[in-house]
Amino acid sequence: MKSSKIKTKCSYIIMGLGQFLYGQRIKGLLYMAILALYLWYLFTAGISDMAGFFTLGTVEGDPWLGIKGDDSIIMMLRGILSFMIFIAVIIFYLSNLKDIKNTEKLVEQGRPVPGFYRSLISFVDRKFYVVALFLPVVGVAIFNVLPIIFMILIAFTNYGGDIIPPKLVDWIGLGNFKQILSLSGIKDTFVKILGWNITWAVCATALNYFGGLFLALLLNKNCVKGKTFWRAFPIIAYAVPGFITLLGFKFMFSYGGPINYYIKMFGGNSIGFLDIDAGWMARIIGLLVNAWISIPTSMLLATGILSNMNKELYEAASLDGAGRWKMFTKLTLPFVVFSTTPTLITSFVGNFNNFGVFYFLRGGMYLDDYFLASDTDLLINWLYNLSIDNNYYGIGAAVSLIIFIITSVISLTAYVNSSAFKKEDTFR
Amino acid sequence: MKKEKLSEVIITYVVLILVSFVFFFPVLWLVLASFSASGSIYDFDGFFPKSYSVATYVKLFSDTAMYDYPSWLRNTLFVATFSCVISTVLVILTAYTMSRFRFKMRKPLMKTTLVLSMFPSFMGMTAVYLIMINFNMINNLWSLILIYSAGAPMGYLVQKGYFDTISNSIYEAARIDGASNPTIFWRITLPLSKPILVYTALTSFAWPWSDFILPNMLLKNRDLWTVAVGLTHLGETEFSRFAAGAIFIAVPIVILYFSLSRFLVAGVSDGAVKQ
Amino acid sequence: MKYMKKAISLVLASSMVVSMAACGKSTDKTSGDATNGDVITLRILENDTAKQEGYLDELINAFNEAYKGKGIQAVDANMDEYSNLAENGPYGYGPDVLYQANDKLMTYAEDKHILALNKDDFECAAYTPDEAWDAFTISVDGSQYTCAVPVNVQEPMLFYRKDMLPEDWELSWDNNGNQTPDFFEDFSFLYRYSKQIYDESNGQKFGLVAPCNDLYMMAEFIFSYGGYVFGKDENGLYNAEDIGFNKGEAAKGMLALRQFAGVMSEECIDDSIGQNRYSKVADGTYFCSISTPDTYVLFHDRLVDVYKSEGLGDEEADQKATENLGMIELPRSMPGDGILSGESPVVDTVVMGGVNGYGISAYTEHKEACIEFVNFATSHEMIKKRSEILGIAPTRSDVAQEMGGTTEMIFESLNAGHIYLMPSIKAVDQIWDPMRTLLSDVAKDAFREKNGEAIKYLDDATMQDALDNASNSIYDAIFTLSN
Repeated sequence: MKSSKIKTKCSYIIMGLGQFLYGQRIKGLLYMAILALYLWYLFTAGISDMAGFFTLGTVEGDPWLGIKGDDSIIMMLRGILSFMIFIAVIIFYLSNLKDIKNTEKLVEQGRPVPGFYRSLISFVDRKFYVVALFLPVVGVAIFNVLPIIFMILIAFTNYGGDIIPPKLVDWIGLGNFKQILSLSGIKDTFVKILGWNITWAVCATALNYFGGLFLALLLNKNCVKGKTFWRAFPIIAYAVPGFITLLGFKFMFSYGGPINYYIKMFGGNSIGFLDIDAGWMARIIGLLVNAWISIPTSMLLATGILSNMNKELYEAASLDGAGRWKMFTKLTLPFVVFSTTPTLITSFVGNFNNFGVFYFLRGGMYLDDYFLASDTDLLINWLYNLSIDNNYYGIGAAVSLIIFIITSVISLTAYVNSSAFKKEDTFR
Repeated sequence: MKKEKLSEVIITYVVLILVSFVFFFPVLWLVLASFSASGSIYDFDGFFPKSYSVATYVKLFSDTAMYDYPSWLRNTLFVATFSCVISTVLVILTAYTMSRFRFKMRKPLMKTTLVLSMFPSFMGMTAVYLIMINFNMINNLWSLILIYSAGAPMGYLVQKGYFDTISNSIYEAARIDGASNPTIFWRITLPLSKPILVYTALTSFAWPWSDFILPNMLLKNRDLWTVAVGLTHLGETEFSRFAAGAIFIAVPIVILYFSLSRFLVAGVSDGAVKQ
Repeated sequence: MKYMKKAISLVLASSMVVSMAACGKSTDKTSGDATNGDVITLRILENDTAKQEGYLDELINAFNEAYKGKGIQAVDANMDEYSNLAENGPYGYGPDVLYQANDKLMTYAEDKHILALNKDDFECAAYTPDEAWDAFTISVDGSQYTCAVPVNVQEPMLFYRKDMLPEDWELSWDNNGNQTPDFFEDFSFLYRYSKQIYDESNGQKFGLVAPCNDLYMMAEFIFSYGGYVFGKDENGLYNAEDIGFNKGEAAKGMLALRQFAGVMSEECIDDSIGQNRYSKVADGTYFCSISTPDTYVLFHDRLVDVYKSEGLGDEEADQKATENLGMIELPRSMPGDGILSGESPVVDTVVMGGVNGYGISAYTEHKEACIEFVNFATSHEMIKKRSEILGIAPTRSDVAQEMGGTTEMIFESLNAGHIYLMPSIKAVDQIWDPMRTLLSDVAKDAFREKNGEAIKYLDDATMQDALDNASNSIYDAIFTLSN
C-alpha cells in the first residue's frame, strides 16, 4: 500500500490528520481543532443533552422545597441543538473526506499540494456561493430552523394546560392530533376559518400587489413632476409602525371615534364597524387597513423593479405603433410579474399568517359558532387564542403543524410551477 | 416616450392628490393628536383636538421617570442601524448568490426557505426566548440585532427577483477580464443594485422600529426597551404621548427615504450602459 | 481548498460550543441580586401607578433609611408591572418582591413561583380580616398555604360630578329621607334618573354610562342574582368545573344590564368608554361612570382641565375639582326581577373585587430580607402613606378607620360580603374573553332595538341560552383541550 493511501485513511479516523501528514499543516490543524472541540463539548454537555432529549427530565422541581428539578423544555431545546451540532460535525467530516481525496489525487499526479493562503483565495473564488451562504445558513439554522423543529416536536408532547415547568413534560406521540380530530367543534372551526383565511390571503395579496403596482406606474409617468415629493406620502404612512396604525384605525372606527362622531352629527345612528355584528364589514375594513399598511412597501418594490426595465424596448414598441395598453400588457406586466412572482408568494404567505390586523382591530372575541375564535380571526389568530391565551401549547403546535403542511403544499406547488422558478433566465 | 395629453395630466394629478390624501390623512390625524392638550383621543371634536399645545412633546423628552423615551429612542436607533447594515449585507449576498450561481443545493435551499417562511413565527418565540436564555443574552440589545440579522436572509426572494433581471453578459465580461467572484460582487453587483439596496435597507431599518413582540420578550429592564415596546406600555389616557412617540419614530425612516430616494430609481440598465 | 469555510466555521463552532457550555452556569444565575459587598439588594416590582405618583420612591427611600445598618437595600425592579414571573423567575430575571392582584399572584402560587408564607411573620396580620387573607390561600396536597400579604381591596366605584346632581334632589330623589340620593342607593332609581336625563336632553346627555363590555365592572349584574365565577367544593376550595355565570337568576341580571344600556351612549359597547369616561364625566356629558378607585386621579385631572379652560387658575381649578368630584360605592340594591323600571323587591348588590398584595418570588436568594421588606411595606405608616398618595382602600383595619369615608366603606363592604373576590386560581384567566363578548353583545342588543334591527335577547330563556353558551366557552377554554 502506498503511503498516501495510509495518510488518506488517517483522515477517515481522525479528521484533519491526513491533511496534516500531507503537509497541509494549517488546514489539518483546523480540522483537528474542530474535532477536539466537538469531543470536549460531547463529554461536557453533548451526551447528557442528547439523553435529556429523550427523557425530557426525570426530577420534578419544587421551588418551595428548593429542589432545582429538570426543565423539560430547556432540555428539549438543548437536545435539538446537540443534534444540530452533530449534523454540522458530520458535514465537516464529509468535507474532510472529499478534501483528502482531492489532495491524494494531486499527490498521485505528482502535482504540488497548494499552501493554505493560495487554496483559501481560490476556494473563495471558485466556491463563492459556499462562502456567501455560510453565515446566512447558520443564522437561519439557529434562529429559524431550530425554533420550528422545536415547535413541531412540541406537537408530540403534553406541554400546556397544567403541565408547564416546573412540572415535567412528556412525549405523548400522536395524542394531540387524535384529540383534535375527536372534537367536532375544533374541526368545524378549522374548516370555517381556513375558508376565510384563504379568501383573505388572496384578496389581500391582490389588493396590495396591484395597488402598489398602480401607484408605482402612476408615479412613473412622465408628466408627474416632483416624484420624490409625491412618493413621500406613502413612505410617511409606511414609516409609522404597523401596530400604531392599527390602533389608530381601531380608534377611528370605534363607537367613540371620529367617524361615528360625524355620523351622529349628521343625525345618523352610530355604526359598529368592528363590533360583534360587524362580520363582513369588519373583514373589509381589515382588508383596506391592511392595504393602507402594505401598499407603500409594494410600491417601493415595484418602483425599484420598473427602474430596471429596458427603456429601449418601449421605444422600439412605440415606434412600431403599439398602444399604451398593449405596451402595458405585453411589456410591463410580464416583466413585473416575472420579477415579483416570488414576492407575490412571500406576500401571500405573509398575508395568510397576518396576525396583527385582526388581533389589534378585533381581538378577544369568541363568537357562538366558533371554538374560541371570532369570524374575522385568521388561523394564526385562532392559534394564538389556543396556545398563548389559553396555554395549550401542545394542541396549538399540532394545529399549526397541520396548517403548516397545508400552506406549504399550496405555496410550494405554486412556486415550483411559476415561471420565476422554472425559467429564471427569461429576462437576462 | 410620447407626451401625455393635457386631460390625462389633469386626471393623473387628481388621482395623485387623492391617493396622497388617503395616505397622509391618518398620519396627519396622529400629528394633530400629538398636539392635543388633553392627551386623550376621545376629547376630540371628530378628527380635531379641542385645544392644542406642545406640552406632550416637552413631556415626552423631559418626564422620563416612568417612560424614558429618550433612552428608548437611542436603543431603537442602535438596534435598527446595526441590524439594517448586517441584514442588508446578508440579504443582498444571499439573493445575489442564489440568482447568479448554479449549484446542487440551490433549488432545495430555495424550496426549504419558502417552506420555512410559512411557519407562524410566534409559535417559535418560546424557543427563541430559551435560546437567548441559554446564550445568556437577555437584557442585551445585541440579541435583537442577532435575531433580526439572522432571520433577514429568509426574505431574499424579493432581491433575487431583482437580480434575475440583470443581464448575465455584464458578469461574463468581467469574468473574461479576470475578475474573481468576490471582486465582481463588490465592484459590479453592489453598484448595480442601488434601487434594491435602498429597498432592502429601508425595510430592514424599519422592521426593528415597529416590532414589539421580540424586544418585549428579550428586554426586561424598562430603560432597555425599544420605542415600540415602550409605547405599548403607555397608560390608557396617554394617547397624545403615544402619538407623539409614534411621530418621532417615523422621522428617521422618512429622512432615510429622502436621503436614499435618488438611488431608488437609478436604473440598473442605465448604469450598465454608462460603464 | 476549503480553508475559508473552515476558518469562519471554526470560530463559529467554537463560540457555539463555549456558549453551550456556559449556559449550564447561566441558568444557575441568582435572582437579580448583585451582591456588592455584604449588602443584599432586593428588586421590588410595584405597579405603574405607585411609581408614577411617587409612592414607590417614598417606600424604597424609607426602607433603605431604616435598614441602612442591616445590609439590606431595596431597588425598583424596573420592569413591566405585569411581567411574567413564571417566564423570568426561574432564569434569574424576576423581581424578589412583587405587588399584584390576587388572581395574578395565586396563578404563580399554583406553580410555586411565589413562596408560601407564615402569616404570623407579619405585623399586619392582626389588623387584616380573614376575607383578605383568604384571597391568598391555596391548598396543595390537602394543606392550606398563604402565599402573599394583602395590602388593599379593589372594587368598581361610581364617579360623578357633585354639581350635576339635580338641584331639588332632596325633595324629589330622596324618598327615604336619609340624605343620600336614591339613585346612589338603588340601580332602579339610577336607571330612572339616567332615563330622565337622556329624554330631557334628547339623547345628547346621559346619566350612568358604564363600560358594559368589562366583566370586572359589570359583574354586579350577575353576582347580585346568584351567579358566581367558580363554585367551591366541600373543602371550600374552588372547583373550576363548576362555572357559575349561568347559575341562579343571572339571566335576569343580564336583562337589567340590557335595559340600562338602552339609556347609555353607544360608546358603552366597545373600548371607547374605557378611555373617554374620564373626560365625559368631567365635561358633564355623562352624569356618572364606573371605574376602579385607582383611576380617581384620572377623573380628577380631566376635571381640572375643564376648570382651567373655563379660566380658573391652576390651584383654584385643582381645589374645585377635588371638591366637586364624587367617588362612592355602587348602589346597594338592584331590582329582584331584573326590571329596572318596575317596582319589585330589591336584592343586595354584590360586586366583583380583588385584593392586591405582596408576594415573594420563590427564586429569591434572600427570603428573610424579603419578609423584612414586606413587613415594612405593610406597616401602619407605609399603608397609611399609600392610601393618602394613591387613594387605595387598605385591608388594614386600623388605617381604614383612620382614613374614614369611602376608604372605610370599602373595607366594610369586604367584611359584609358585598364584594365577591376574584377566585384565586389559574382558571380565572379564561373567563374574561368569553364574558366580554357576551356582555358587549347584550349591551349592543339594546341598540339593535333602537335602530330597528333584529333583537337577540327578548326574555329570560334566550338570555339563559347565551349565558350557557358563554359558560361552555369558558369550560372549553379551561378543560376541553387539557390532557
